[in-house]
Parts: sequence; C-alpha cells; structure tokens
Amino acid sequence: MIAVGGGKGGVGKSFLVANLAAVLARDGFRVVAVDADLEGANLHTCLSVPAPPRSLADFVAGREPDPVKLPVETPIPGLSLIAGTHAHLELAHPEGARRTALLRGLRRIPADFLLVDLGAGNEPVFLDYFLLADEGLVVLAPEPTSVENAYAFLRAAFYRRLRLALRSHGVQELVAEAMDQRNERGIRTPLELLREVEARDSREGARFAETMRAFRPQIVVNQVRSARDVKLGYSVRSVCRRYFGVDADYLGYVSEDPAVRESLRARRPVVEIHPRSDAAIYLRRIARKLSRSAGGGPAVGGSR
Amino acid sequence: MEENHYEVLEVDRTAGPEEIERAYRLGRAAFAEDSLGIYSVYDESERQAILTRIEEAYAVLSDPERRAAYDATLPPVQPEPGPGAVELDLELPAQDRPRDAGEAPVALRDFDDLDDEEGGDFDGARLRRCRVRRGLELDQIASITKVNPRYLACIEEERFDELPAPVYVRGFVHAYARCLGLDPGPVASAYLERFERARSGGDRRPRALGRR
Repeated sequence: MIAVGGGKGGVGKSFLVANLAAVLARDGFRVVAVDADLEGANLHTCLSVPAPPRSLADFVAGREPDPVKLPVETPIPGLSLIAGTHAHLELAHPEGARRTALLRGLRRIPADFLLVDLGAGNEPVFLDYFLLADEGLVVLAPEPTSVENAYAFLRAAFYRRLRLALRSHGVQELVAEAMDQRNERGIRTPLELLREVEARDSREGARFAETMRAFRPQIVVNQVRSARDVKLGYSVRSVCRRYFGVDADYLGYVSEDPAVRESLRARRPVVEIHPRSDAAIYLRRIARKLSRSAGGGPAVGGSR
Repeated sequence: MEENHYEVLEVDRTAGPEEIERAYRLGRAAFAEDSLGIYSVYDESERQAILTRIEEAYAVLSDPERRAAYDATLPPVQPEPGPGAVELDLELPAQDRPRDAGEAPVALRDFDDLDDEEGGDFDGARLRRCRVRRGLELDQIASITKVNPRYLACIEEERFDELPAPVYVRGFVHAYARCLGLDPGPVASAYLERFERARSGGDRRPRALGRR
C-alpha cells in the first residue's frame, strides 16, 4: 500500500497516482488505485472512467459493506479503481470503527499495489492512510505554498504517529504542547522534543526514537522546470533530517511537460498517450523504484 | 547536544574529500538565502546559524590536518552506526571536474543506475534528461565546455538547421557528453547520425515532445 499525500491541492497527487498505477499495471502487477480525496475526487477522470458504477461512497453509506467489492475496471488491463466519494462532506469519510474496517478491508483486496490518492489538507483520515501505508509519498511543486503545505503535512503526520506510539500521559501532554509552534518551553523541532522526552522518561524516549526511525517519507518533486528545481528534493530531505530527525528518501521528480497538459485534457495517463515524453520517462523511473523496493518482480512476465 | 561536524554536513565519518565537498555545496544550497526548501520551517536567524555551522564544519573537514586533529577529539566510531549513515546522492562528473572550487557546479548523482533510460538513441531529449538529473543548468555546461549555450540548447531541442557544420556539432556533443560523465564517443556518434539523417532527409525535425 502506497499513500500519496502532500498537503496542497493541484501539485499533482492524482496525476501521479494515475500514472504510477498505469505503469505498474502495464508492468504486470495487479494494481488498485484508491481515490481518498475528500473534496476533489477526480482520479476516475484521470483514468478514463467517467461514471464509476461503484465508489467509496457506497461503503460510507452502507450500501456495500465489503471494501473488497468496491474496485471497478479501468481501460488499462490489471488496473482497477476505487473511485472517490462525491457525497456530502460529513459523509465523505467513515469514522471510528468503520474507518478501521475500511482500512483493513482495503488491505484484503487481492492486489500487488494499492495506491491511495489522499486529498489536500491534513485531515486525520489522510494521516492515518499515510501512516498505515508501506510507503508514504509526499508530492510537492517548486513553489513556496506547496513547500509550506508539504511540511505542514509532514509535521501533522509525524505528531499523529507520535501520539499513537507514546503511552505515558505526561509525555503525551508534552507532545501536544510542543505541537503548538509558539509553545512556552521553546521546543522548536521534533528533535528538540526528543531530547525533552528523553530527559523526562528514558523508556518513552527510546520509543520516540523508534518511531522516528520508522517514519520514512518519500519525496517527489512535480512540475520541475529546471535543474534547480530538481535540487529542491535534496533540500527537503536535508530539512527532514535536521528538523524532524527523519530520514526521508528523494524518490524522484517529474518535469513540467506539454505532454502532461495534453494528457490531462485527454483524461488519460501521460505514460499511456506519450510514453516517450520526459514526464513519462520520469514517472516510469519512479514506478520502477517503487516496485524494486517492494522487492518483487512483475507477477506476470514484464512488458514495459 | 551539539551536532558534530560530520552530522552538520550529513556525511559519514569515513567520507572522502569529494563527498565532503559535495555535501558542503548541497548544504550551502539548501540553506541559501533564496532556498525554497527551507521555506516555512526555518526563520532567517536560524537559517544563518545553520549556514554558519555548515561553513565551520567544512572549514575543518576540508583541511586534512584540522580534520585529523578534530577526529582525535571525537569518541571512536560506533561499530553499529544504525540507520544514521545516509549517503548523499551527489557526484561530480568523472572528467571535467572543475578546478575552481568557488562557484563551479555541483552535479547530482543519478537517482538510479545510468542505464535505466530504456535504451534508445542519444537524442536531444535524452541529453537534457541526463543533464537535469545531475542538477546542471545549460549555462553551467556552457561554462565548463566553452560551447555557446545557444548551441547547447539547439542540440537539446534538435533544432538542427540552426547548428553549424557536423564537425563542430560532433565536438559540441562530445564535450557535452563528457561533462555529464557519459561515454562521449558513442553518444556523439549516435547524435551525429540523427543530425546527418535529419539534414539530408525530408524529416528535418524529429523533435521529441516537451522541451524541459
């Protein structure tokens, strides 16, 4: 399960999910793309399924209790889709136990890759997908608003993970306090928080350090226009280490490309309609890194 | 707890001089005044403080004598370094390594092995992808190769009719490929084949989609 987030809308999360899913499916994997976007569900459009017969809304509304039955076919063999909800906002995501049932159910779907497109924003449900996934991708574009939101997303995910991991009440309170950026203790970064927790309770300190190690976001820079934009990913990785004390990986980048615009208009993945474009080559590179790190060759002999 | 110089530069204790150089340039770029990557995380005084630490760390680690003296003050390297040893994906091209350490370009190392380009011709688009991947701008290539950046752009975009005679183009592509750390002979030959074909045949512009 691979979750794709990154805060800001319009940086290309759905685009990335649609294209990575298409590449992996063409490589012979069984792939399910899941649209978990709250407000702008449009993964179905990116994958040429204009009117999906079933969607996450059917689960939320209770019409289809089994998440395994939610995927619908797409024109790409091996790739199916769980479309997003267009329900009212309060209905869009299940709460509590039903959310757990959904996440568990998704994991039962027979697939090699489950790619989840998270919407914009830092809703707890997105953070849960992100933390539960085997890989969490953070997509950003080379512009300040996107960078800001990506860090806000990472910070929120980080603290959520932390709060779930820590047991002692006092330490949990400390974490809650530290999340407020203008806290009185002057804890500025998660690393400083670690020192504080260690000083207070060494067992919790060890658990905290463990949590940090397991949190390993993967960075993707989209809409790259110059070689300079490519380097943004390295800077973000460095900030992750210094600020969060987290080892992030720089997974790859995708260039801004006229072929991408064309593919969005055509409502098809760019890797399908312009496989030789730069963007498609970069996307395939990312997809292959993911499938390599997942440790499997293609299930059915590999085409390209 | 103060970070040691190696932690500041995000390198291993065993890092060689080149790696330290790369890490330093990368760190300096990440914490430069106009760096996008630190936006909303660090304020100006924090940025300057980190940059100062990077400069200090580099001043010591780039000088073999000072580095040896500094190493003697550190506790011995732990046998089990854990996941802390993060390698930096940076590499200077094998040849044409700039002598001037000042503002010479830093090349990024490949995200993957060099050969994941799915084969195919060395066309202009592929050269551009190789360049971008190394984090190099055209004018940086131009300053190393001394080839006019306008010609470099024409080579990438395959505007064949704006390029001079083949013998020059071969030289340009050769220098360009070398600068990227590619094997220049085959690259120049493959490119020249495209160039000559386009010049002689009706198909003057087999241009790839997407400029950059």
